Amino acid sequence: MVPLSWYLILSAGLFSIGLFGVLTRRNAVAILLGVELMLNSVNVNLAAFWRYGDVTQMAGQVFAIIVFAVAAAEVAVGLALVISVYRKRNTVIADDIDLMKW
Amino acid sequence: MNFIASHYLTLILFFPALAAVIMLFLPRDENKLLRWFAFGASLVPFVLSLMVWVNFNADQPGFQFEESYVWYEAIGSSLHLGVDGLSLTMVLLTTLLTPLAILASFSITDRVKPYMMLFLFLETGMLGVFMALDLLIFFVFWEVGLVPMYFLINQWGSANRDYASLKFMIYTMGGSLGLLLAIQMLGVLFGTFDLVSLYRQWNSLTADRVLLGMSVHTVKTIAFWAFVIAFAVKVPLWPFHTWLPDAHTEAPTAGSMLLAGVLLKLGAYGFLRLILPLYPVEAKMFAGALAFLAVAAIVFGAFAAYGQTDFKRLVAYSSVNHMGFVVLGIAAAGLASGTTDAAIALNGAILQMFNHGLSAAGMFFLVGVIYERTHTRNLEEFGGLFPLVPVYGGILIFTSMASLGLPGLNGFVSEFLVVRGAFPILTVYTAISMLGLLFTGAYILKGIKKVLHGPVNEHWAHGEHKLTEISTREILVMAPLMALILWIGIWPAWILNVINKAVVALF
Amino acid sequence: MTTETLIWLIPLPPILAFFLIVLFTNKSKALSHTIGVGAAALSWLASMVVFFRAIGVEHLGEHPFESSLNWLPTGDTFLKIGVLIDPVGAAVLFFVSITIFMIFLYSVGYHNFGQPKGDHDVAGLPPHGATVEEHGRKHVVPSIEPMYSRFFAFLGLFAFGMYTLVVSDNLLTLFVGWEIMGLCSYLLIGFWYGKPSARNAAIKAFMTTRVGDVFMLLGIAFLYWATGTLSFREIFTEETLHILGTTMTPIFGLSAAGLIALLLFIGTVGKSAQWPLHVWLPDAMEGPTPVSAMIHAATMVSAGVYAVIRMFPLLTTDFNGHELTTAMSVVAFIGAFTALFAATIAVAQNDIKRVLAYSTISQLGFMIAALGIGAYVAAVFHLITHAFFKALLFLGSGSVIHGMEHGVLHTGNHETDPQNMFNMGGLRNKMPITFWTFLIGGFALSGFPILTAGFWSKDEILADAFGHGHMAVFITLAVAAFMTAFYTMRQITLTFLGEPRTKEAEHAQETPWTMTAPLVVLAFFAVTYGWVGIPEHFPLFGGLVPNWFHEFVGGTLAEHPEALEFNVVPLLTSLFVALGGLFFGWLAYRNVQTPAEDKFQIPVLKNKWYFDEAYDFLFVKPAYWFSETFVSAWMDKGVIDGILHTFGKVTQFLGDIIRNYFDLPVINRFFGDGTADATQWVGRNLRPIQTGRVQQYFMLALVIFIVVGAALYYLLLA
Repeated sequence: MVPLSWYLILSAGLFSIGLFGVLTRRNAVAILLGVELMLNSVNVNLAAFWRYGDVTQMAGQVFAIIVFAVAAAEVAVGLALVISVYRKRNTVIADDIDLMKW
Repeated sequence: MNFIASHYLTLILFFPALAAVIMLFLPRDENKLLRWFAFGASLVPFVLSLMVWVNFNADQPGFQFEESYVWYEAIGSSLHLGVDGLSLTMVLLTTLLTPLAILASFSITDRVKPYMMLFLFLETGMLGVFMALDLLIFFVFWEVGLVPMYFLINQWGSANRDYASLKFMIYTMGGSLGLLLAIQMLGVLFGTFDLVSLYRQWNSLTADRVLLGMSVHTVKTIAFWAFVIAFAVKVPLWPFHTWLPDAHTEAPTAGSMLLAGVLLKLGAYGFLRLILPLYPVEAKMFAGALAFLAVAAIVFGAFAAYGQTDFKRLVAYSSVNHMGFVVLGIAAAGLASGTTDAAIALNGAILQMFNHGLSAAGMFFLVGVIYERTHTRNLEEFGGLFPLVPVYGGILIFTSMASLGLPGLNGFVSEFLVVRGAFPILTVYTAISMLGLLFTGAYILKGIKKVLHGPVNEHWAHGEHKLTEISTREILVMAPLMALILWIGIWPAWILNVINKAVVALF
Repeated sequence: MTTETLIWLIPLPPILAFFLIVLFTNKSKALSHTIGVGAAALSWLASMVVFFRAIGVEHLGEHPFESSLNWLPTGDTFLKIGVLIDPVGAAVLFFVSITIFMIFLYSVGYHNFGQPKGDHDVAGLPPHGATVEEHGRKHVVPSIEPMYSRFFAFLGLFAFGMYTLVVSDNLLTLFVGWEIMGLCSYLLIGFWYGKPSARNAAIKAFMTTRVGDVFMLLGIAFLYWATGTLSFREIFTEETLHILGTTMTPIFGLSAAGLIALLLFIGTVGKSAQWPLHVWLPDAMEGPTPVSAMIHAATMVSAGVYAVIRMFPLLTTDFNGHELTTAMSVVAFIGAFTALFAATIAVAQNDIKRVLAYSTISQLGFMIAALGIGAYVAAVFHLITHAFFKALLFLGSGSVIHGMEHGVLHTGNHETDPQNMFNMGGLRNKMPITFWTFLIGGFALSGFPILTAGFWSKDEILADAFGHGHMAVFITLAVAAFMTAFYTMRQITLTFLGEPRTKEAEHAQETPWTMTAPLVVLAFFAVTYGWVGIPEHFPLFGGLVPNWFHEFVGGTLAEHPEALEFNVVPLLTSLFVALGGLFFGWLAYRNVQTPAEDKFQIPVLKNKWYFDEAYDFLFVKPAYWFSETFVSAWMDKGVIDGILHTFGKVTQFLGDIIRNYFDLPVINRFFGDGTADATQWVGRNLRPIQTGRVQQYFMLALVIFIVVGAALYYLLLA
């Protein structure tokens, strides 16, 4: 069986890629993609710990499902916002959306 | 059906408030819908209270249709509702007048939604006072009734509305400050706000208990005066009456209807519900002073009404005059409680409350009808309108006569009972009050003379100012009032029976 | 149908007519008067049935028709109301129903039913006439009253009030009827409300009678308290009266009975226009003539006397037959004084209706005086005969005015007052039926011997006063009777005799049958009714017909009054004052043409002893001042609101001080503004790091996270 650490490395890698995307991309959609990536890396972690821990305890899986739901909701709201912003201001570049800035 | 039958009072009490909340979600500009919705919603409590009236057993002493819910357990207050013959009469008056007032306000076009909502809230507030069997609840509803009325005067009133609404608010608040204090003290002293158990414990409490260094006796006396002032302002008793002409005059028509019809009754109701049963000794001791103020209200009210040139002010002062008889009856009953004379005086006082509710509401509405058309209330600017508006004139004369106390109409029955009951107890005061009764005639006739009789004022006869006859809707507002006025005048036993039994049981 | 049921039903037709006309048939004049007259006829019919059943009952006084029901619950008892017809009730019902019916009928003609609509008539003013074209010529004819239907409605309500009053078995419903009539008199006097004079007269009538009414209400309350009942039959038991008679009150040493009787009597003073509350009645002539007849003769003023008649046992408690009690003396004084006082004024009036109005006051004074000296039967008798002949006179005067108005319309000269007697003269040829009936009525009023009813009733009052030794009353009434005959003849002479003094009088016309028929009917009673009460011991005529009236009405009282011994002095006095007055009246006025020639136009009499002016000065003006200046302006707006406003000002002043010297400098400047300034300074300086770039923030967060994480890691693990 693949040792746990492999999963953790995968997960850490995914997380870092996601974080990098979030921090560096200027396109709001890409930022969202990065966030999704980070969320899913957590899911990998959760599933792995469940599998290698007490299998009768379902908490890890349940958390993962909740994260799915959150991610889906987030994407729905986030994309809706992005589309709405695009319609209004014709851009999806995060830095251009600076109306609330002082 | 079972649910309704076991929750009559809660339903009557909260239905208007609920309807007001629902109104929040109705479209703002659909005036017609809003009006009819509010009207329909106010009819429901009326129908329910009629059912209560029918199912009410007058022969059974004590409260009926009692309901009690946990409300504020920590301090011993609960939502305790119940009615006896006294409060049921007032509940019926309230639920009858509110639909009529709403129907009367169909001509309002400015911000109909909040207007109607305020009326429904007002109804809940007034009903709550009459139904509450818990002092704290009593106080809560007492204040709840105040707020909508303030906004009604302040937002929909006529020219001098800011002054009037502020005066109304401050006067009544000033009165109720003491009320809250007194209620708190009684609550702490007795550990409960429940009226029924208060009635029971009232005299059994030993005198050695001490609150804030004051003996039970002192606390009771403070509470007595606080109650008296709060209720006296509301009645209003001379010399606390000057808010009334201003508030009535500036309020929108329907507001004045309810103000005179129901809100004034809250004060008298307080006297009957709290002061007489709880303070027989003090009531007896100060009955003379109370009678003096009552007679002052009767006499000065009548004279003041006679001295007005504003039609609505005239009617407003007539309320001071008429409510004076209620207080006179109460004073007489306080002085000689337990006697037949006292029972008769109280019967008269309570019936007078109901009757004044009918006739004053009618009078204010009729003033409103003519104000809506002419935009003036100055008696000098009317004159000779009778040929222009014969139906209106007939109705005005009829209602005025009820207000004047013409035998055969309702006002006479109650005034006669008060006079009959008070005469042996407070002979001199009753005799002086006759002066007020005389001038009741004078100001009523002055009103009719200046509005209807005399040479036609050509200004209203032709052209753009041509006065239009009272409309069908407006007649529909008056019709139930007039029917009741006549019915009680001819056959008062149906309502007096309930009142009488309550009075005999209570006092 | 039992008699009791029938009695309950008597007042109903008029009130039904009132509601029917007001609510439904207002538009149709014909239908309205049919309903009105029909209702009056029904009530009349029912009254007649009741009356004839009543006279068929033996000892009706002890066993009257009565029935009652519980009306008001009061504590643990009930206030009962009901109906009662005893001999007095029956006798009164008889004349009331006839006169009311006649007045209804008369009104049809008086208000010109069948005539065209007026050219310029408006509701609220008397009709001015209509122009019609006949045979190619235009001429003006009387026009129909615009508020014709309403008039019948009011009459119906009025009739209801009167019937209620008569059939009541208790004071409360009596008072109800009493006040309803008060309202109707207000509405009817002010029928032509467009005229300021009518409007003011209506208010004057209502207010003046109300002065009496509030005292009466007190009396009722007192009586109800003292006896626990308001029913006549229960009050007038020997036991109750005895208790009332022996209970003393602190006021003038009167017994409870006396005080109650006086309080109730003040009501009568107002209603029957006795001095000092007489002022409303002459002004009430502003109303249409049938109204004057209704108010002044048949019903309302009689109601006042009727109330005293009803209260007679109470009034005469402790009366031993000779010494008048305090209460009785007051009543007798007021009655006798009014009789004389009003007669003096009547002499100097020129308005045909005003003369009659004052004569009514005077005649009512006769009745009140009679009651005051305990002459019960005589008072009732005079009440009834007076009702007949005074209704006749009023309706006759209405007919005269109507005829004169015809003349006015003919000449078109509206300056001529059709009510002023100096504009008349010679009408006997123009209006024969009116003349003859008026003559009968006038003679009855004067007490023309033997023939007329007025003689018998007035003679009985005089005889009673003389027989029981009340000389002051006797002399006063005798003088008043002389003056009555005098001014009556003055009126007849000025109106009907001689030659027409104006063009209008020349063109006066007899009125239609609906107006003359009631005159004839009433004239019949004005003559014959006296014959039912001829005293037993009267020379020649006594005993020819039994003194039915005395027997019947006297039966009402527990103690049957005895027939008076005959004495020649009062008879001679009666004969002298009646004939002498008539003769002198004719003598003095047969050649008078203008008011200037009239020797009796004495200013003080003409101006009614200045009572109106005095009352205006003493009561009306002060009342205005008191209500407008003192109560409204000074006390409410000045003192009470002044105190309030002072409170408001003081509060505001305190508020201002706190604001200016604490809130603004300390809290606002120091704490408020200081804190805000500091915060703002900090904020401003921190602003540059707020770039608004989320990714920058994130980066920063990451860096801090890593730094903190690393620090913790080393700190905790190391």
